[in-house]
Amino acid sequence: MSSYTETFKQGNSLGRKNYLYLILVMAITDFKVKYDNSALGYLWSLLKPLLMFGTLYLVFSVFVRWDVENYKLYLLLGIILWNFLAEVTLNSMVLLEGKASIMKKIYFPRWIIIIASSLTSLLTLLLNIIVFFFFFIFSGTHFHPSALLLVPYLIELYVLSVGIALLLCALYPKFRDIHHIWEVFVQLGFWATPIIYPISIVPQKYHAFILLNPMARIIQGSRQAIIGPPGVFISFANHFIIIFVAAAFFLVGLKLFNKLSPSFAEDL
Amino acid sequence: MITIEQVNKIFRLPHDRKTTLRQRFVSVFQKNTYERFYALRDINLNVKQGEFLGVIGKNGSGKSTLLKLIARVLEPTSGRISVNANVAPFLELGVGFQGDSTVKDNIFLYGALLGMTRKEIVDKYDSIINFSGLERFVDAKLKNLSSGMQVRLGFSITVSIESPILLVDEVLAVGDIAFQQKCYAMFDKFKQAGKTIVLVSHDLNTVEKFCDRVVLIEKGRIQKQGTGSSVVNAYKLAVDNAQI
Repeated sequence: MSSYTETFKQGNSLGRKNYLYLILVMAITDFKVKYDNSALGYLWSLLKPLLMFGTLYLVFSVFVRWDVENYKLYLLLGIILWNFLAEVTLNSMVLLEGKASIMKKIYFPRWIIIIASSLTSLLTLLLNIIVFFFFFIFSGTHFHPSALLLVPYLIELYVLSVGIALLLCALYPKFRDIHHIWEVFVQLGFWATPIIYPISIVPQKYHAFILLNPMARIIQGSRQAIIGPPGVFISFANHFIIIFVAAAFFLVGLKLFNKLSPSFAEDL
Repeated sequence: MITIEQVNKIFRLPHDRKTTLRQRFVSVFQKNTYERFYALRDINLNVKQGEFLGVIGKNGSGKSTLLKLIARVLEPTSGRISVNANVAPFLELGVGFQGDSTVKDNIFLYGALLGMTRKEIVDKYDSIINFSGLERFVDAKLKNLSSGMQVRLGFSITVSIESPILLVDEVLAVGDIAFQQKCYAMFDKFKQAGKTIVLVSHDLNTVEKFCDRVVLIEKGRIQKQGTGSSVVNAYKLAVDNAQI
């Protein structure tokens, strides 16, 4: 068994308080690289969910019609929240690979890469939420105090997404095709989660499946909190279940990541 | 300062490296064959504070692996390594910069990776740029710089952070004479300041001139260690004999 003494761990040049600055610098650098060569730059990250929303809205309000009040808002919120999960999980693997040359040169805790990459997506998410509230105001829907419940849902979403990202990134250097597999899963999940369709059209016998899906619970809960009508998904029980699943992903992901990350420099 | 006990490092070199699930799936009935390659074998080494240690040996003898283990970039397969101080960046050709970012962004990223705060980086920024001689290229992307410029930048950042241990892997070869002079001056300064330096180099004259102690590594084992001239001469003799 290999072992590093405690002094080694403490001897790491990064103090705990400096992690925060490193995460920030890394996130800013990635942000610049990502949007540097595109004319519309950062606007793309806002346009993407809006264009997706436009397409799906056209299809599902003109060709197919659901019986959902405020379907526009309902759809937009679902897409925004789902896109965050998709972006964090997929981007973190790409960024991990992009950092290979640095990881081969210098030691720093590898989880910092994942957190840094999630920050860019978090910024996009928050801006998207602002765009959503523009739509919200213009649609003439009344603001309800329960909308504040969105905040815990966003926190749960963040922990869940980072947990899955850690899990995927831990395995990625050894099994590169996990990126492709996950892309398919993200597509599958998009249709398996009630994002474009209401939960009511799902046959009763499949409801259990939907309730197993933490994303369905987060999205449904946020909708009931903001758009209404209030329902079972803004209950404490719902939060409890989401937190349980998100924490499980996060802890397992972190454990696996810490176990496998020392050999990243060799595998990548 | 650096203690290495009984360290082995084995690389598994697969005959046919499988990095995807598909490859694993297709070849599930094939035997997974690989070479066990001892990059380092039974290494015991102590480096004291303020010591300037040189590491020499042929290509593929394990010198760089040793540095990477000290830098904690690689994990030893077995054995113990302890370093009770900040390990500074590890320097070698083509320092791992972000090619798509500018020189300035890379300085801040590297500084942060090395544990500097924003203020410390801002304070040192001008001296880093001056030392590297890249004043005109601050906003150029790293990938557009020559390899010599990149190494200069890496070296400049490394020497500016005040870390007590410096690991240097064969960087002097690409710098021009003026830059090499700067480096030598820096080595002298570091020595006087009592810093610990581990230098891997093929430039035997430099090694002999600067190092307090030199370690000769051959096929992953420490073959000989001692004062500069004795080990360097032994190495030269071994190479000469091999040629005859």
